[in-house]
Amino acid sequence: MSAALSVDWNEQDDESFRLDLREWFEREFPVHLRFLPRRLRWSESKDWWTKLSQKGWLAPNWPREHGGMGLTPAKLIIYWEESERAGLGRMPDQGLTMVGPTLIRFGTPEQQAQFLPKIISGEHVWCQGYSEPNSGSDLASLRTEAVLQGDSYVINGSKIWTSMAHDATHIYVLVRTDKTVKQQRGISFFLLDMKTPGVSLRPIRNIAGHEEFCQVFFDNVKASTSNLVGRLNEGWTIAKGLMTFERLSIGSPRRPLQAFEQLDALARKLNLFADPGFVDCYTKLKMDLLDLGSLYGRYVDKVRRAEPLGPDISMLKIFATDTYQKLSELLLESGAEYGSYAEAVNFDGKIIDLISPFYISRPGTIYGGSNEIQRNILSKYILQLPN
Amino acid sequence: MSELEINEHRQMLLDSVTHFARGLDLIRVRQLRDTATECDRAVWQQMAELGWLGVLVPEAYGGMALQLADMAIVAQALARVLLPEPLTAVAVLAASVLAQSNNEALKKTLLTDLVSGHCLPATAWQEQAGSLAVNSIGLQATAFEGGFKLNGRKQFVMGATGADGFIVSAQSQQTPGVDGVQLWWVPKDTAGASVSFETLADARRCATLSLKEVVVAKQQLLLSGQAAVDSLSRAIDHTAVILSAELCGLMSRALEMSLEYMKTRVQFGKPIGSFQALQHRAVDLYIQQELASAVLADGLSILDAEPTVQTRQAAASRVKARCTEAALLITRQSIQLHGAIGFTEDCDVGLYVKRAMCLAAWMGNAHTHRRRYAKTEILREVA
Repeated sequence: MSAALSVDWNEQDDESFRLDLREWFEREFPVHLRFLPRRLRWSESKDWWTKLSQKGWLAPNWPREHGGMGLTPAKLIIYWEESERAGLGRMPDQGLTMVGPTLIRFGTPEQQAQFLPKIISGEHVWCQGYSEPNSGSDLASLRTEAVLQGDSYVINGSKIWTSMAHDATHIYVLVRTDKTVKQQRGISFFLLDMKTPGVSLRPIRNIAGHEEFCQVFFDNVKASTSNLVGRLNEGWTIAKGLMTFERLSIGSPRRPLQAFEQLDALARKLNLFADPGFVDCYTKLKMDLLDLGSLYGRYVDKVRRAEPLGPDISMLKIFATDTYQKLSELLLESGAEYGSYAEAVNFDGKIIDLISPFYISRPGTIYGGSNEIQRNILSKYILQLPN
Repeated sequence: MSELEINEHRQMLLDSVTHFARGLDLIRVRQLRDTATECDRAVWQQMAELGWLGVLVPEAYGGMALQLADMAIVAQALARVLLPEPLTAVAVLAASVLAQSNNEALKKTLLTDLVSGHCLPATAWQEQAGSLAVNSIGLQATAFEGGFKLNGRKQFVMGATGADGFIVSAQSQQTPGVDGVQLWWVPKDTAGASVSFETLADARRCATLSLKEVVVAKQQLLLSGQAAVDSLSRAIDHTAVILSAELCGLMSRALEMSLEYMKTRVQFGKPIGSFQALQHRAVDLYIQQELASAVLADGLSILDAEPTVQTRQAAASRVKARCTEAALLITRQSIQLHGAIGFTEDCDVGLYVKRAMCLAAWMGNAHTHRRRYAKTEILREVA
């Protein structure tokens, strides 16, 4: 942290900053964890987390006084681009992406002092408790409830699709604190230690066979009023306030481009470029990906100019995730019989993963507001179509 | 100019074209459908006075020497009102070819007259449908003592109805290959030159130009050899991108019309725009529109940087393919969103559908451009 405070990365020129990141990521990030077709478990990422933390490069988006790099939007984009280029895996990063920015904006000085340093040090690993078994797209209908008893709250209910909950030491949850008002106005934002009595979880195996998400249960879990972030019943506003330019990363063409390289390798192995039907599909998709790059670039430029991102960014999510799925489907189709293999295929020593992109690209159209919800948003706020 | 100055200048240009376009309505478009020239010379003259015919022309010839991005602003805004005048055929395709000519005397006359609105040149380069190749030319130029004789046929010549003459590509019989490619200026009343017309879906017409023993003098040669091929191929890419700007303009207006209709048309006691099936359909059209405009913007800055031929072609093909598909989708879906009224002659939606079809087909449709892209960007690398 002292290293972070001593350096203002924004003073460095873009190109040398980029090269520093590139060179260091290349040298330091474990080779066996690059471009993995899944998220990293905490056990795999702890060392890297610590290394980043010691270097002062863990929290690019946090202000420097809280141990972050305090990067300008332009520098932040360079940081993302280099992370993607190096194939850095996704760590259990909710503390960095969500809790930190939330506490910095809405937390009390006590909450900031209690939690932020422990995120940076890796002592606390966070997960997000938003969705519930009966509240998915309709998140505001959530029913996990916090009732004031004496000087603390008692929480009952359940959260689901909680990514990496089994690796987390802490969870932040949206809970109902008032049932008498409009749904959105009766929700509060709480922080909880996963070791609090009454918290339990059950990992859920996903369609790819990985245990990445969980259901979390709250059975008379006590939470002190000091665990409340912001004011009572302000939780919805806080959750929505987090929709800043971090959302840009979901539209980056980098991940689909990664899968495109698999398609390219497959096509060479199976001599598919001699098949005009394949070339047509391949070309169309390649151009879709480049066009996604153009759309993404438009938002990147906005961020660079420090302009706010509006609800129209939903279109980037829709096109990026749809295109990724189409690509994954062409990969399977082009593999013919190989397209039904459960694991990556070994072509005389060249390993081509046909099936992972299929699985990885599925949740993108569902999480963070399904693409149907994104279309509702665009219809309402951009096209201003009536209700 | 600094970036800020460029942006300010472009905003002023946009304001000026938008203001001008407000004075042009679709009734005028319908009326011009039945005329022989499909061009209102008064409107053309105003556009000349505003300098728009000379956006891409060097200052020495009366032009503004601006960039493709500026031309795109003009074309896009005027396409929203379906300008029928041959702006792109003259001020982009012909102007770009002429600007590369090394026949200074002829260049001076033709370009200054083009910029002032007094000469409408049409470019006759294409002989085969679905091809963007500029140097497989069947039209022959045979040298004789007094000059050359031209024999052959060109198809799909746009902006030909009111044209004062044609820029014609020919293959010299004395010099095979690229070195023998020539670009000639053939005035419209030249003996042996005949023009026949095909009516297009939007009621504009494209021409077939037939040349039989047409005698041209050396002074009518605009450019020859590799330079001629380069100039034509560059002009074609630039035209494809400006046509894409037109497609963006017309798709945005078509989508606006559909959204307005969705907000006002009531069925089942509600505006039809309140139905989620239609909302999501409209959103998907909007996404394609935004995608097209993002790709267009990138393509313009790539072409304006005058990159290598391969980079230029790849960018132009991406732009034309995306804008074409988006415009066809949006205009065709606009029929569906309007319901039965959208299928009537009276409904303006049809005008947009038909113009989109014509701009889509000209200078390579989406399939042609994807094929070209595959050939140079994908298959070449594989081989």
